[in-house]
Amino acid sequence: MENLNILARFDYTLMVVTIGAALLGAVSGSLGTYAVLRRQSLLGDAISHAALPGIAIAFLLTGSKAPLILVLGAAIAGWLGTLLIMSIVRLTRIKYDSALGIVLSTFFGFGLVLHTLIQRTGNANQAGLDTFLFGQAATILASDILTIGVLGGVAIVITFIFWKELKLLVFDEGFAASLGFPLRTLDILLTSLLVIAIVLGLQAVGAVLMSAMLVAPAVAARQWTNKLGLMMFLAACFGALAGVSGAIISSTASRIPTGPTIVLCATVVVGFSIAFASNRGLLWDWIRQKRNRRNLKMTEQP
Amino acid sequence: MQALETKAIEVTDLTVAYQDKPVLWDIDLDVPPGVLLSIVGPNGAGKTTLIKAILGLVRPAAGNVLIYDKPYEAQRRIVGYVPQRGTVDWDFPTNVLDVVMMGRYGALGWIRRPRKQERALAMNALEKVGMEGYATRQISQLSGGQQQRVFLARALVQDSTVYLMDEPFQGVDATTERAIVDLLQELRENGKTVVVVHHDLQTVTDYFDWVMLLNIRRIASGPVEETFTPENLRQTYGGRIAFIKNE
Repeated sequence: MENLNILARFDYTLMVVTIGAALLGAVSGSLGTYAVLRRQSLLGDAISHAALPGIAIAFLLTGSKAPLILVLGAAIAGWLGTLLIMSIVRLTRIKYDSALGIVLSTFFGFGLVLHTLIQRTGNANQAGLDTFLFGQAATILASDILTIGVLGGVAIVITFIFWKELKLLVFDEGFAASLGFPLRTLDILLTSLLVIAIVLGLQAVGAVLMSAMLVAPAVAARQWTNKLGLMMFLAACFGALAGVSGAIISSTASRIPTGPTIVLCATVVVGFSIAFASNRGLLWDWIRQKRNRRNLKMTEQP
Repeated sequence: MQALETKAIEVTDLTVAYQDKPVLWDIDLDVPPGVLLSIVGPNGAGKTTLIKAILGLVRPAAGNVLIYDKPYEAQRRIVGYVPQRGTVDWDFPTNVLDVVMMGRYGALGWIRRPRKQERALAMNALEKVGMEGYATRQISQLSGGQQQRVFLARALVQDSTVYLMDEPFQGVDATTERAIVDLLQELRENGKTVVVVHHDLQTVTDYFDWVMLLNIRRIASGPVEETFTPENLRQTYGGRIAFIKNE
């Protein structure tokens, strides 16, 4: 009887939202590890902004708001955006950061225009599309959890299968190429994984802040460990923690957008890790410096 | 007779350009097996690009590279590569042994992970460069010379016939430099061909038996005593060289 009571008291919607946010955080956190280590943190920003028109076009074409269709639209647009960035860098003399900026803002602007147009049509069905801007975790349904779980799971399994190749690509591209591993293919594989993580998170976190969900957990995790595998695991945990706490906090009051709340929770984790992590943390540095100075003084005295 | 004519590396008419600017112009280079060759030349002479072109890492505008009479793609397994150590992020979360085992990734192929055997080979290579005590050390804690030796160990586990090394002496102390030279000469004594991008003109005669003088074009290449002449050096460095060692 005791057990039943506890179950009854636990809100079903909140449970779904919490599980969904945890899964999202874990997927984006673990895959974001590669983005951070490759110094491509901003690529996540470009992909998530570029995904926005994809959502609008998918809706315009199908008239459906089924998550899978919208996610597919977002993924295609995000992917095209990334491909465009890579081609601009390869074929022109425009540098990576400029290419990123151009593609990001063009796609995002186009997305905003399309979203406004859709709202003007007065189609009653369009309500809720704007959650993709700032995210609304409360809109996560049980069926979304399945989508997130399956796609996110596939992405993480792929990183395990190609663990060795991806690690080599991120650490030493030139050496990887000299051994005969195809850089372009691996690059596209890695980017596709990022695209999956991002479009899954769009609904809950929103296009504007999604890249923080890739970067923040990985940055925090790097503070605590020197092992790639452990870093990825910790990033997944931190991402899940931020997702859960953000989702719960934003659901306690109405009109708190979930995306910013989740990102603020992730920021707290990052701040704590930068300050207090063993070895790499600021506090640790300060103590070590102090100890060194004292030791030095002691040796100076005769 | 046939065996004598085989070349470890044969570069013919190689031209590489970045955008419109030629970085290497019409390079010919024959490297016989079993020599220790240094490539010298001023900054921007195209030394790194030449190494990369031999490895197929940059696409030439024209020309051809053969390793033991076959294109590089067919000979990957017998070529070891030491990139400049500044090209990677040494704060990457991994340890020394892990980096050295990367030298086996080519032989392992896709998906297969390094196992006991690869681990043993890596430890063996670390012993050769005097780094066996650092196997579990995080790579961010290494000094410049130690980083260089880790990269050398990674090339050693490739167990190659031809080695291409980009500035293996850059930023290392005298002791490490001596250790690396001994290692290179040991490789040559075992019949390997070693090509090294080198900066210090004063040590060329001591360390190497062959030299290539490069400044976008090939100025000269051949045995050190014939090739490393004041006249060739002046041509390579455009008269800006003040000191040439004469024994």
